[in-house]
Amino acid sequence: MSQSQTTLKSVDCETVSKTFYDVVIVGAGVAGSIVAKQLSEQGKTVLILEAGTGKSLTLEGFQSHVETFYGAVDKNPNAPYPLNPNALSPTDGANGYFEEKGPLPLSGSYTRVLGGTTMHWEGKTIRMLPEDFELRTRYGHGLDWPISYKDIQPYYRKAEYEIGVSGNTEEQKGLGVTFMDGYVLPMLELPPSYLDQKVSEKIHGTTVEIEGETIKLDLSTFPQGRNSIPNPDYKKYNDGDDFIPQGVGSVEPVEYGERCQGNANCVPICPVQAKYDARKTLNRIAFPERVHILPQAVAYKVEVDPANGRVTAIHYKRYQDKNSPEHTLGIAKGTLFVLATNAVENAKLMLASELPSTSGLMGCHLMDHPFLLAWALMPEVTGTMRGPLVTSGISTFRKGAFRKKQSAFAVDIHNDGWGWSGTGATDVVRDAVDNKHKYGAELRQELISKISRQLLLAFMCELPADPSNRVTIDAQYKDQLGNYRPVIHFDVADYCKNTFAYARKLSQTIFQRLGAEDHTKYDKRDQDGNLDPAYFEYQGESYWFRGGNHFSGTHVMGTTKNNSVVDQNLRSWDHENLYLVGAGSMPSIGSSNTTLTLAALSFKSSEQMLRDLKS
Amino acid sequence: MNIQVWFRWLYAALWRIFSGGQPIMNLDQSEMKEYFLDFSVALTGFSKFNLLGTGQADLYYSTIEQNIGNELLQELLQTFHNLDLKAKSANDQSILDKGISFDILDSKKFGAIACNIIKLWYVATWYPIPQTGQDSNSQKPFIVSPQAYPEGLLWSAIGVNPPAAKAPGYGTWSEKPSVTLS
Amino acid sequence: MTSSQENDLIQSVDDLHFYLKQAMMIEHATIPPYMTALYSIKPGSNIEAFQIIRSVAVEEMLHLVLAANVYNAVGGDIRNTLSSDEFIPKYPTTLPTGETDFKVGLGKFSPETIDTFLSIERSKEVDEGQPIVGPRPSQNNLLAVRDANPQYSFYSIGLFYAEIIRGLYALYQEMGDDLFCGDPQRQITPEYYYDGAGDIIKVTDLTSAIRALTMIQEQGEGSVIGTIYDAERLLSHYYRFDQLKRGQYYIVDQDNPSNSDQPNQPTGDTFAVDWDAVYPIKENPKLSDYSGEPELHSAAQEFQSAYSDFLTKIEYAFDGHPETLLPAVGGMFKLKYQAERLIKNPIPGRDGMNAAPIYRLD
Repeated sequence: MSQSQTTLKSVDCETVSKTFYDVVIVGAGVAGSIVAKQLSEQGKTVLILEAGTGKSLTLEGFQSHVETFYGAVDKNPNAPYPLNPNALSPTDGANGYFEEKGPLPLSGSYTRVLGGTTMHWEGKTIRMLPEDFELRTRYGHGLDWPISYKDIQPYYRKAEYEIGVSGNTEEQKGLGVTFMDGYVLPMLELPPSYLDQKVSEKIHGTTVEIEGETIKLDLSTFPQGRNSIPNPDYKKYNDGDDFIPQGVGSVEPVEYGERCQGNANCVPICPVQAKYDARKTLNRIAFPERVHILPQAVAYKVEVDPANGRVTAIHYKRYQDKNSPEHTLGIAKGTLFVLATNAVENAKLMLASELPSTSGLMGCHLMDHPFLLAWALMPEVTGTMRGPLVTSGISTFRKGAFRKKQSAFAVDIHNDGWGWSGTGATDVVRDAVDNKHKYGAELRQELISKISRQLLLAFMCELPADPSNRVTIDAQYKDQLGNYRPVIHFDVADYCKNTFAYARKLSQTIFQRLGAEDHTKYDKRDQDGNLDPAYFEYQGESYWFRGGNHFSGTHVMGTTKNNSVVDQNLRSWDHENLYLVGAGSMPSIGSSNTTLTLAALSFKSSEQMLRDLKS
Repeated sequence: MNIQVWFRWLYAALWRIFSGGQPIMNLDQSEMKEYFLDFSVALTGFSKFNLLGTGQADLYYSTIEQNIGNELLQELLQTFHNLDLKAKSANDQSILDKGISFDILDSKKFGAIACNIIKLWYVATWYPIPQTGQDSNSQKPFIVSPQAYPEGLLWSAIGVNPPAAKAPGYGTWSEKPSVTLS
Repeated sequence: MTSSQENDLIQSVDDLHFYLKQAMMIEHATIPPYMTALYSIKPGSNIEAFQIIRSVAVEEMLHLVLAANVYNAVGGDIRNTLSSDEFIPKYPTTLPTGETDFKVGLGKFSPETIDTFLSIERSKEVDEGQPIVGPRPSQNNLLAVRDANPQYSFYSIGLFYAEIIRGLYALYQEMGDDLFCGDPQRQITPEYYYDGAGDIIKVTDLTSAIRALTMIQEQGEGSVIGTIYDAERLLSHYYRFDQLKRGQYYIVDQDNPSNSDQPNQPTGDTFAVDWDAVYPIKENPKLSDYSGEPELHSAAQEFQSAYSDFLTKIEYAFDGHPETLLPAVGGMFKLKYQAERLIKNPIPGRDGMNAAPIYRLD
């Protein structure tokens, strides 16, 4: 508990203007941090431009995020991170940052702070299945990858080490994930919640039909980027040493390093930093003097030499006060340039720089995982609202021939109750007190009855790449710094709506088995009478979905400059010293949360960058 | 005289009339706080030790006072205290229970305030009350202090930690819940 | 090491067991004072101070576990150790950490309390050839010296461990590997325990035993003479607390420790310490302080019994059930919240003085 010397230091614009870097990275999230770490370790000099404030690197700054969360009435996914009008973070439509053109909303959120969206992510780290890489060839939907599962496999292992994944490879194998022989994850799986156990008791072994296939309803744990118990068998993959979980998110001087304590708040902030976030990667950079960070610098233009297409500089706006649009302009120069801002912002920045790419696909193929929710009350008290947000789920619908007709999905059992469906614990209190006039002992019983039995199932559905789902820009939609706000065109294909319909029926079957009271209702309007933009009707039934925050596909990788934006190493076809890293490069996302795969790709991409820098 | 102040004056005048012309008792601060705690014990179903154990009693008291005014608060607490005394002297808890239901929670004057006091203890949030003259359009709910949030009684009532605070420890989520339905 | 025979206090396995039990008592003895000070800090304030005290307290927990591992490795019977009435000291108590007599008590976070913590962690520069220092009259010392004049004590915890290490070597010379007759299944290994406090060490032989004891010895005190860091290149406990008095961090250069700050000359970031953002708790409370206040009385009693229960469960984990350590630690989290409720409750009629947890019944 002292101040560590190995601390990344923020630099000023003057230093940046005087330095020619080996690599200039835009965005200090998981992808940018991995690239910075990999390249600096090989002696390269790195600059990271970060749009948000760099607050979270200190203990005081991190703690202030926790306090901001405590003080927020609306505990939304960005509640810990104060509104920054110079670098707005979309928050389920709350601040109007996305210009949603429909027909359905993308919704969802990401976080523009140091550490990026890993500051608020839930932390599921599921590998994609081998067949997910051949979605077009096998099932006739979306796009294929230019590489196979085998190509990315070694990078998955690197990502699992970097993030510190807890999970059970035996279980995953049963679900169709392949591993090298004997491989285990760095830490053991997180114990299933009591609620998981109660659900499992009743549905274990049940089978259901889907498009003529029979599928088992078995629960399994999810691999997660969250500290649990180090797996002693992992030594083989760690040079014979025990895996040491990383807990130090804030540099100086927290020496946490603890396992998950069950704070039940993975999203939007883990107060004990048991959950991985990109600051852990930044703080483990072995040669911090090689890495400069310039916070409060919003990149707005990628400058290209028209003669050869090479990027010559990144232009940024530097603000002092997040609430004031006042700023100075700056330029960052280097040999290689890496955009690591996330799928939406990467595409936006390229389009703002008038670089739509030869294929014209910049911003197209916008994907996400739409979630269908179903909620019920269990027949007995399950002590809901305890533990990491999700520990187990049903992952047996991730694969199968049915993917020709309807999309794959995975089911989460939410340990945090109905909050996502619109009835959080606080809402139950308000209803009990204001409408039912409950008080004293009776009130306590009412809350146990209405909260401690809650079960929420979240069906995360695959949505294949579709060129008309896209990010664009329009001069009439800008933020206070004069930067473009993303304009979103988004719809959910019938291929995915078929899965919603199936999932709703499946939820009814599950609730029946459990003897649970189904409370699911997809209202067109909320309590205040506002239309739910994600509401729709399909085959005579009402639904709404919720955004999954897994934005991807906007600068898709492929085999040629005509069918894609980047190559298999995430290098731009048009600009040979430019890399677009992150989920934007993914041609499909299967039924896996995107972070692990994009982290793996960042390792792969870093290797190519090092080769580029050698030549 | 603005409308809020006028309403308060009216309340006070009506009170004098309906309470048989007795003037409002001028309770001193420590008495009021004592009544407030007793009232809170009845409303929340938590013991005085647990209420004080949140460290928020004074803050809640001053939040209520600031938002509804001292006079109305005094009146409410006095009403409760009288019920409490009656129940105690008759040794009949049901007098208090009925009184809280009919004279307080169902009362136009006190109902919303009493509900707010419960919500304050349970979720550390103050919600605007239209009939006290607060402009509900301009007022939004607020958490009275960041450190009050983890002290909300809701979480103890359902046997869990407040999300992001007071962690129960690794693996405890696999154990049987600590709360039951009677 | 050339100490005279009469100064060699550990002459048998029995002696070794006795000293290791003492070691567990010493490591535990500082935990209630650290915890009490820690929980007296008002939530949201003094975040640096909170983290600093906490970091030391979790290391003391680690030391307790390491001592238990050594004890188990040399065939000690742990039953009735942590669960014994005498395991928890009567506060205020003296600790044998220096020449000056000072007492360690349960009190709020304050400059005086930090002075006491500094005294606890103070390292003594003593000739290594003199593990035992001559007679020093003292009373009510925690450390009894077995079969010797009960008034003798060690100058520092470090010297106490030096004697255990010496004894261990000596017995190993006599007995060889037979000394380590404990069942390895009884060891607390990293899967059952990890934290930011450093590594748990599985003890099965002389090397691992010495490593474990050296870690306890070095983490506690600035073992590298004249520097601020310990053998793990981490800031020693003494200088961690010293930061609180100065409101400034020391910088330790882990790659090249000799480039670290000099003692008393920190160069790191400064931070504010708010000595007023603290609950005014009753020092060294006794159950009788709450008589006449049934709620406080029973809450204090509940805390005390939960604390004893916690120690009993830890003992059970050490007694061949390492898998039960994790749930037992869950109990420690609950203790914290129980303590905090007490600390926020004023004792009626005591003029703004608040209650505090009691760890041992009078």
